[in-house]
Amino acid sequence: MSVNDKLVSKILVLDDSAEHASRIKAFCDDNNLVALKVRKGAVMSVLRTNIDLGGILYSEDYGGSQEESARIALEIHGARPELPIILRRDALANLAGLSEGGADLYCAAYVASDMDALRKVIDEFIFCLTYPNALLRGISELTESVLAGQFKTLRISVHTPYIVHDRVIFGELLSLIQLESAWCRGYMMLQTEEGPLLDLIGRESAGGTGSNFRGVNDLLSEITNLIWGSFKNRYIGDGKCSSGPQVQVPLVINHKHKYISFGTENPQLCFRYTLTDEGTGRSLTLYERFIFNLNWSPDEFSEVTHDVADLVDSGELELF
Amino acid sequence: MAQILVVDDSSTVRDEVSGFLKSNGLEVVTAVDGKDGLAKLKADPSIKLVVADVNMPNMDGLTMVEKIRGELANSRIHLIMLTTESSPNMKERGKAAGVKGWIVKPFKGAAVLETFKKLVA
Repeated sequence: MSVNDKLVSKILVLDDSAEHASRIKAFCDDNNLVALKVRKGAVMSVLRTNIDLGGILYSEDYGGSQEESARIALEIHGARPELPIILRRDALANLAGLSEGGADLYCAAYVASDMDALRKVIDEFIFCLTYPNALLRGISELTESVLAGQFKTLRISVHTPYIVHDRVIFGELLSLIQLESAWCRGYMMLQTEEGPLLDLIGRESAGGTGSNFRGVNDLLSEITNLIWGSFKNRYIGDGKCSSGPQVQVPLVINHKHKYISFGTENPQLCFRYTLTDEGTGRSLTLYERFIFNLNWSPDEFSEVTHDVADLVDSGELELF
Repeated sequence: MAQILVVDDSSTVRDEVSGFLKSNGLEVVTAVDGKDGLAKLKADPSIKLVVADVNMPNMDGLTMVEKIRGELANSRIHLIMLTTESSPNMKERGKAAGVKGWIVKPFKGAAVLETFKKLVA
């Protein structure tokens, strides 16, 4: 496993300027942004397939003119309104002078001569929540442990965690479970694809023709339960929830558009795992997302401490 | 006539645990939640050991345990929790309710088989 302490975020760079290309690339490298470029004409198809974006760096003359740039931005915003679009302008580091509808498409603007200001914009609109390093490492560790326990013959690859502002659902299988503590309230969500999971565990063992999907549903449910349990034991324990009214907001899922909303602009903290059968080469991608939509208080984060004398290995019977 | 009742809302866990125990010569019946567990227990007085999850819908495992000892007044049956929960408070509640043992998931059959066999002997 290799997990960097620093979170990254994938960002789509739609900027034709050869003059600023290297500066933008260097900025992305220095600020934990994974820059993706796409050829003209493929922007919308990429947006339809790429679900892990944190934002878009856009230029005022993308597409050859300001009019074309505005048209494309409108199309992008219509397809993915949750993605922050940051506009590079030639002269103004703000959204003044744009058409009334145009200004609404962007979250902020910058000029290439002041990349420090862009850093502040990135922090405000992309890396807008901070996550304790111990939490990032811990989630990867406990999840990898759960997956290794469930899939004993598969190689588990753990990827660097990242920030996502997308609300697109990956795959056909999704589980949700609440997380409640004094320092966080929200959900953990797992997403994966049914076909690859069936292939990995063997379609027969999932319950036979016609009941396959229930078998993988249950498997995902148990994986979710185990991860949740480990998370709770490590970071919540017997701690009480935060004081104040325990509010709830509706979650909205639109199956046609593979879209889920948690009622918040907060980003999703995303972990990706690849499970590979080295014998057959088959693999499965599992996405694990944390959405702290109801409360996020990282200053109150702590790990549960245990007396060494009280520790019993998982799977072992502790007799009273 | 079963020896062991396995209670878990996850069919994956029920299949894994009951499959292992059956393959080692034990007679097992399963239930999907605490309510179902109580019904199965009432229907089969030969059951000597209950292995139950805590977090289940309809009726959780610790409430089921409290009812086994309370309403059913069954003090002879052995009760072991198989759960993701490991908090001391949860274990204390279990102990107070009459739970004999606690296993934090995942289930490792080899680690518990001999003890289970002794408990149903």
